[in-house]
Amino acid sequence: MGQTAWGWLIAIYLFLGGLGAGSFLMAAFFELSGWRYRSNFCPVALVGATVSGPLVALGSALLIFDLGAGRMQPWRIFYMFTHFSSVMTWGIWILTIFIPLALVYGFLELMESEAFLKGFVSARAPWLLRNARTYRRWVAAVGGVFAVATAVYTGVLISDVGPAIPLWSQPVLPFVRIPMLPILFLISAVSTGMGLTFDISATIADPEIQRRFRIMDLSHIFLIGLENIAIGLLFISALSAGGAAAESAKLVLYGPLAVVFWIGVVLVGLVFPFVVHAYAIGRGQHSLTSGVGSGVGIVIAGLLLRYMIVYAGIPAAL
Amino acid sequence: MSDTKLSRRTFLRYLLGTGAVAAAGGVGVGLAPAAQTALARTDAPKARYALIIDTTKCVGCGACVHACNIRNNLPEGKSYVHIVPKDDRGRQWFLPVQCQHCADAPCARVCPTRATYRHESGVVLINEKLCVGCKYCEVACPYQARTFDEERGVVDKCWLCLDWVSEGKDPACVQSCVLGARIFGRLDDPNSEVAQLVASGKAKPLHPEFGTHPAVLHYIIEGE
Ligand code: SF4
Ligand code: SF4
Repeated sequence: MGQTAWGWLIAIYLFLGGLGAGSFLMAAFFELSGWRYRSNFCPVALVGATVSGPLVALGSALLIFDLGAGRMQPWRIFYMFTHFSSVMTWGIWILTIFIPLALVYGFLELMESEAFLKGFVSARAPWLLRNARTYRRWVAAVGGVFAVATAVYTGVLISDVGPAIPLWSQPVLPFVRIPMLPILFLISAVSTGMGLTFDISATIADPEIQRRFRIMDLSHIFLIGLENIAIGLLFISALSAGGAAAESAKLVLYGPLAVVFWIGVVLVGLVFPFVVHAYAIGRGQHSLTSGVGSGVGIVIAGLLLRYMIVYAGIPAAL
Repeated sequence: MSDTKLSRRTFLRYLLGTGAVAAAGGVGVGLAPAAQTALARTDAPKARYALIIDTTKCVGCGACVHACNIRNNLPEGKSYVHIVPKDDRGRQWFLPVQCQHCADAPCARVCPTRATYRHESGVVLINEKLCVGCKYCEVACPYQARTFDEERGVVDKCWLCLDWVSEGKDPACVQSCVLGARIFGRLDDPNSEVAQLVASGKAKPLHPEFGTHPAVLHYIIEGE
């Protein structure tokens, strides 16, 4: 298959970075739009805020585990903060800022719903509880910017290798020099985040919530459409570019990665959730199975998308 | 240099210079390869080099690969030079590829730690003490010139035997090529064979469309 330097650890990292960022964005959106206050309990805000930090931190741990000398001599990791022409240096900075913000956000959410934590905080730092809403909104707003940065940078990281791996650096459109992967990864980050926080958690916590936020079904369908267009354009441009880019596309479309792509990404991650959400719009509500099912499908497909992109990266021919 | 009158002062300076080089050489003996790289970095003359590969002469025997592997003590299955077999409409030929020492080196640009850097001679080197082994450079090199050393956890590649080169010797691959397909010399000396081949346009960079402006490696490829 494609390049061999980066493998599944990197694929999982790219996925977890996107999933964590997307979950944060969902929570922040429910916070800042005021939607979370439509009921006294908002599973999207709670789950989104609490899982995002740990997910991204886990991904970063995998990233460190994939290092050579940096794993054996961890102080070398500090050198990675120093070279700003490298997207990896930006990434390290983004993660260093985003992970603590997300962990703080998770704490602020948990603090109010966990009785134990609430008691602890009100005894030690009552001011924190009094102004919780203000703090939460600030963390959501600032963290939201870094969440977008996290999701986008994972795509910039691998598209910045330029001519070395033509599939990764395919432009959005011919003559538009913006690479497609950062955009595709951002779309996928938001939709996996939605799948995790809304489809899965909200349906389990309170199936009634679906009636209140039917816009989520529409958003899913919109994102699925966008992702379809992005993936379609990526492979059309790869095929028409010829060379290693076209080889990569063939690997995915009818080569060894075809099962991952057609069944994992397309069927499980696009067609099935589309049908489920379209049906839910007609019916006015999800069932527990359809909500959880589509969420799980979207999240799994998000992982397989990263896996497929990483392994389909064929180096330019010499 | 032949008709220079050797004044006493210049003579003394030469003597001192030779002494310094000899001392540096003495220090260099017994140093680990990484330290030798550092030595080459600080003491190499401000020269520009060129290595030209004449693919009309190369038969793909792999002597350069072996010489390089022995020189750099590489384990089985790894090498800094690989020979790409080519088949252009039935005509077989061989393209030896190694680090092209790009002037706009993507490996150096993407390296988060500055471990990969460009020496003033144009040779691209890796400071192994800084490398974290993220392999970003390996992915970003369009010539697939980099390998990962599992044992030390760092990336390595052709360094043009810069220690030998700064002593005026040829790199191992050049010494080993019996067919004379590898021509090495100083680009900053307009009379050298390499400078003339490059100036005449006979020797060209490989894959200029990558946009990395290979600075040291050039190729003579005919009948493509
Ligand atoms: S050939 Fe590869 S490793 Fe060598 S300088 Fe160019 S990009 Fe870097
Ligand atoms: S593997 Fe080492 S030399 Fe290569 S980019 Fe990472 S830190 Fe730099």
